Amino acid sequence: MTKERPRVLVVGIGNPDRGDDGFSAAVIARLRGHTPDGVHLLARKADPLALIDDWDGYGAVILVDAAMLVNELGRVHRIDLAENPLPLGWGPPSSHAFGLAETVELARNLGRLPRRLILYLIEGQNFETGASLSPAVATAINQIAERILADLTPHCGRTDSTEV
Amino acid sequence: MATRTLRVDYIARVEGESSLDLDIRDGSVAGARLSIFEPPRFFEALLRGRGFGEVLDIVARICGICPIAYQMSGVHAIENALGIEVEPPIRALRRLLYCGEWIESHALHIVMLHAPDFLGYPDAIAMAKDHKPAVERGLALKKAGNELLRLLGGREIHPINVRIGGFYRTPSRGELAPIIESLKRAREAAIETLRWAASFPFPDISCDYEFVALRHPDEYPMNAGRIVSSAGLDIAATEYETRFLERQVPHSTALHSALKQHGAYLVGPMARYALNRDRLPAEVQTLAGEVGLGPICRNPFRSILVRAIEIVYACGEALDLIAEYEPPAQPFVAAQPRAAVGYACTEAPRGLLYHFYRLDPEGTILDARLVPPTAQNQGVIEDDLRAVAAANLDSDEATLKSRCEQSIRNHDPCISCAAHFLTLRVHRT
Repeated sequence: MTKERPRVLVVGIGNPDRGDDGFSAAVIARLRGHTPDGVHLLARKADPLALIDDWDGYGAVILVDAAMLVNELGRVHRIDLAENPLPLGWGPPSSHAFGLAETVELARNLGRLPRRLILYLIEGQNFETGASLSPAVATAINQIAERILADLTPHCGRTDSTEV
Repeated sequence: MATRTLRVDYIARVEGESSLDLDIRDGSVAGARLSIFEPPRFFEALLRGRGFGEVLDIVARICGICPIAYQMSGVHAIENALGIEVEPPIRALRRLLYCGEWIESHALHIVMLHAPDFLGYPDAIAMAKDHKPAVERGLALKKAGNELLRLLGGREIHPINVRIGGFYRTPSRGELAPIIESLKRAREAAIETLRWAASFPFPDISCDYEFVALRHPDEYPMNAGRIVSSAGLDIAATEYETRFLERQVPHSTALHSALKQHGAYLVGPMARYALNRDRLPAEVQTLAGEVGLGPICRNPFRSILVRAIEIVYACGEALDLIAEYEPPAQPFVAAQPRAAVGYACTEAPRGLLYHFYRLDPEGTILDARLVPPTAQNQGVIEDDLRAVAAANLDSDEATLKSRCEQSIRNHDPCISCAAHFLTLRVHRT
């Protein structure tokens, strides 16, 4: 019997070994075992362009990412990417290939954006290799996990998870 | 005296950060400087004092786009030092892994970074609105290449499965079987991408490059062969430093390479193709002819076609390697440290990549030298810029800037590897 495909995908984007970039992986770890049935958890360390294939077939996708400090360390932004582009200046700086903002807009122009796409973005400060989470960022892990669980309210049961 | 200054502070759609200064005096190009201002990365110094077994994990970190190239040159150089010969199945798996990197790297550059130049779009995002099938093909090709990296390398970015003497783990035939259909589709997508790119408008330009690439008796070069050039060079990797030199220039954090007594030279797809077209299967040579590629391509704007030809080839080669694969009895042969020096050149997607290591009796790295393709191509890139700028001197600043940036992207520079792209500054006097 073919297993029904999970309907909601939650993706944490970031390198857990790069200070506040590890926030997303920590949120995914906190959600593991607590999300409703039909929810798939994914931790993606690199290559945002691959998200276009990751979210193929999902009706709703929640992304978690960390950005460089703009206003307030640890401040969390909830952005509806199905309706709005990721504001310029957000997201970690990268000279390589495609970042999250470029991937979302490419998917939008290809008609491959999920019907619902929410991004939780935290403002971080320290992205050094081997650094720990900043205290203000670590404090937000539970808060964001709970907000995501609230977003997932229509679902019930257990989850499966994947590391990429 | 009429002075015009054109400056591009950050060149987009390349890997890393650099800038360009053009000096135009009395209506002619007096100078072109490609300034690589990405901070020096000190990988060679980082390797000193490390064990030979750590090399492949360290050098894989040099580039997120071509980590396999660094691992391949690294593994062959260390094995050269330690006197290790690997079995044919290990050699085949390494070539298969390299096929994956050529496919994903070339697909990213052709469709996402280079094609918008020819079609008048600021980027692939805008281009995707009007060229959805082409962009989808590019994504599918990149995915197929990444599948090979994940399967053989352990993961797509900075793979972990290559080790001195072989692999940590080798796949069964059954594990390779699922990617056969994906590679067959990728080969068709590569042919469609080639025909799509062949429809682009190309400026009529011909450059008198000295091409440098590996040449192998039987194969289109990846992991093995002698270093040859269109001017008659024919040497082993062990002789690289006797004929090539690296020098510092004030405007760049990357060393510039030159061939002694010759000067600037070109590595990469155009060089590989010019020196090894006869090593391509007949059907791939026929495809090249169909899109107007003769035995040698000297128009750098048409390098996009050569890259597409190399994707077609890499997909077919990967299928052949999988069809003939028999797992080795052991995934690796043991490596015994000894005091030695080792040299290797392999063909990264962007061209020749040289590695040298000196080991002490315990296998600790005493000295390392890595010469990436972009460092080798900087002289030619500046020569191209002078020629392209000279042909577009009457253009407005925006057009001149666009042509110069495109001229640089023709060579798919990986500034990250070379040290890291583009600010254009034109100085007219």
